[in-house]
Amino acid sequence: MKTRMLIFFICCAFIINAQTQKKVHPNLNGITCKTCHSCDIPTKENPCVIPCPREKMVSIDQSPEEGPLVLTIDKFKKQTDIYAPVIFSHRLHAEMSGMSGGCKMCHHYNPPGQVIGCSDCHELIRKRTDVSKPDLKGAYHRQCMECHRTWSGKVECESCHTINGKKQETDSKTLIAKSEKRIHPKIIAPTILKFNTPKATGKVVTFYHSQHVDLFGLECQSCHTNESCVKCHAKDKTALLKAKTTEQKHAVCSSCHNTKQNCSSCHFNSVQEGFNHAVKTGFDISKFHGKISCSTCHTEKGKFTGLNSECINCHGKWTQENFQHKVTGVILDETHQALECTDCHQEKNYSKPICSSCHEDKSFPKNVPGKLIKKNG
Amino acid sequence: MVNQSRRDFLKTAALAGTAVTGLSSKTKAAPKNILSEDRMGVLVDTTVCIGCRKCEWACKTAHNLETPSIEVYDDRSVFQTMRRPNSKSLTVVNEYKNSVEEKFPINVKVQCMHCDHPACVSACIVGAFSKEENGSVIWDTDKCIGCRYCMVACPFQVPAFEFESALKPDIKKCDFCFERTKEGKLPACTEICPVEAVTYGQREDLVKAAHQKIKNYPDRYINRVFGEYEVGGTSWIYLASKEFEKLDFPKLGKDPAPGVSEAIQHGIFAYFVPPVALYALLGGVMWINKNKKKSENEEI
Ligand code: SF4
Ligand code: SF4
Ligand code: SF4
Repeated sequence: MKTRMLIFFICCAFIINAQTQKKVHPNLNGITCKTCHSCDIPTKENPCVIPCPREKMVSIDQSPEEGPLVLTIDKFKKQTDIYAPVIFSHRLHAEMSGMSGGCKMCHHYNPPGQVIGCSDCHELIRKRTDVSKPDLKGAYHRQCMECHRTWSGKVECESCHTINGKKQETDSKTLIAKSEKRIHPKIIAPTILKFNTPKATGKVVTFYHSQHVDLFGLECQSCHTNESCVKCHAKDKTALLKAKTTEQKHAVCSSCHNTKQNCSSCHFNSVQEGFNHAVKTGFDISKFHGKISCSTCHTEKGKFTGLNSECINCHGKWTQENFQHKVTGVILDETHQALECTDCHQEKNYSKPICSSCHEDKSFPKNVPGKLIKKNG
Repeated sequence: MVNQSRRDFLKTAALAGTAVTGLSSKTKAAPKNILSEDRMGVLVDTTVCIGCRKCEWACKTAHNLETPSIEVYDDRSVFQTMRRPNSKSLTVVNEYKNSVEEKFPINVKVQCMHCDHPACVSACIVGAFSKEENGSVIWDTDKCIGCRYCMVACPFQVPAFEFESALKPDIKKCDFCFERTKEGKLPACTEICPVEAVTYGQREDLVKAAHQKIKNYPDRYINRVFGEYEVGGTSWIYLASKEFEKLDFPKLGKDPAPGVSEAIQHGIFAYFVPPVALYALLGGVMWINKNKKKSENEEI
């Protein structure tokens, strides 16, 4: 009896847990509870969130418009009498973060569902027992200073805070109104970038930015990580152009390309055409494979060579069941439907069919084994 | 009060300690020179510190030292010279070049380390210094005779001598904000720090947290928690991105420094108590007895 009760209670706990889990995290794409929680049944009181190695945390990006426009950070009002609350232009900062890591730059622990604010994890009171993560004030300032320091090299408190009791030029209401209007212009991605390098042969690198995004499926943050405002807005650009080592220059490329060898795959003497699978490999993907991402076929990470172009390599043996002939633009008539694929398509890439094994006087495309339709896509 | 078994009496200064507690039997003073397992500490993360020097300001304010207005502390030109804590500034922040990321110089806050086996305590011939249950190493101004042995003994060169008042010589150093923590407040510097580069907590937890940080961010930190073992452990412990010796931390072994100073002290004073010290000690006894009487009177 006792064990039955126990099982009943455990079941109840799991059901309740599953329900609340759905409520708290509506779309857990492929993430299990254990990605973030160390115990079996996390509760609000004891979420048992695993210690925070940021880079391993799950983060979901939202658009800046979904967040608040301006926030007045006055959580510490009671604790400090030195500095006045900060009026924080959240929208502007969210837009700026697009180039440097997105929401997760600040909301580094951000599972699917509602965005988790800083104060959900970081304690308001500094005198606390859990010292494994900074308190709220520390967490805020660490985030701010990470970028603001690169901006001016200074850490003046007064660039964000006003000092209590000191006469101010603008009151907080006007400041809030002003902050609401501050929007970062949309960052427009370039199509092509041409780099002139100091290399004697292979001076020019043509970088198709659009292809890397649209075709190769990279996110902004795949390359643009930890780029602070200075990257675009530096007052002193020479500091940025300052001698970088070859390694530093290639850093952004080398996460995917082997930049230690194969220089000539990017370095040419003139501007190059964009990537074309047919030209480069002899396998034309524009007909049937144009819309899938590289990694669908090239499954081994970072390796894009050595695939066999025979259909069977990826698709297995074609049969009536797994192949809809109409995608080729021909709906087969009943007679031809009954045949094996290889009866007509004797080449390994299933290209042009031959009719001569049955019909001496017929050939494709003069004669069609069914009905021609318009191909979609 | 904490369970007796959770404490480890400091051998070096137990004598002075028991003498004092013995004399003031009726006043329930907190036990001295013990190493409580619950003792507090501070974790200084030099990779987080931004060198805003607000801690310097807060420390002075909390100790009623002459303090310029807070805006003055935005001036970073002070970093051009290396500074040491002195009688007017119990803590100072220095700056070092960061060769990896120039925009983020390394700032290091310096103050008393509140050693677990403090050399100053065992060097003090009148027992003015003590290691308190909460981890702080403090001294009794009224007992101090100005001999400056603590200055010589301290492996971190922390205690400073107040030269101004010749009549009432006194040592000055960070007291871990003893008065504030007694009232349940945070040490002033740890309270004000905007980025919480200085985290106040139980030393045990801080050591754990420090190692967790190193494990999580092996690129950010070198694999060493300064003060975990140095001179037998200190209450203030440090994390850094490069070797501590390059940040002007002294090169120290794991053995408590008192061993060294004790030998010196005992060599000199084994059969000889300097008259001043004796005088001070007697003075101390009188003072305690007076207090005892007072409190007895109050009790009536
Ligand atoms: S310890 Fe904190 S208050 Fe002191 S300089 Fe560093 S960041 Fe500023
Ligand atoms: S650092 Fe020096 S003054 Fe501070 S406790 Fe240690 S020995 Fe004493
Ligand atoms: S603990 Fe107190 S005395 Fe020591 S440095 Fe901090 S503020 Fe100054």
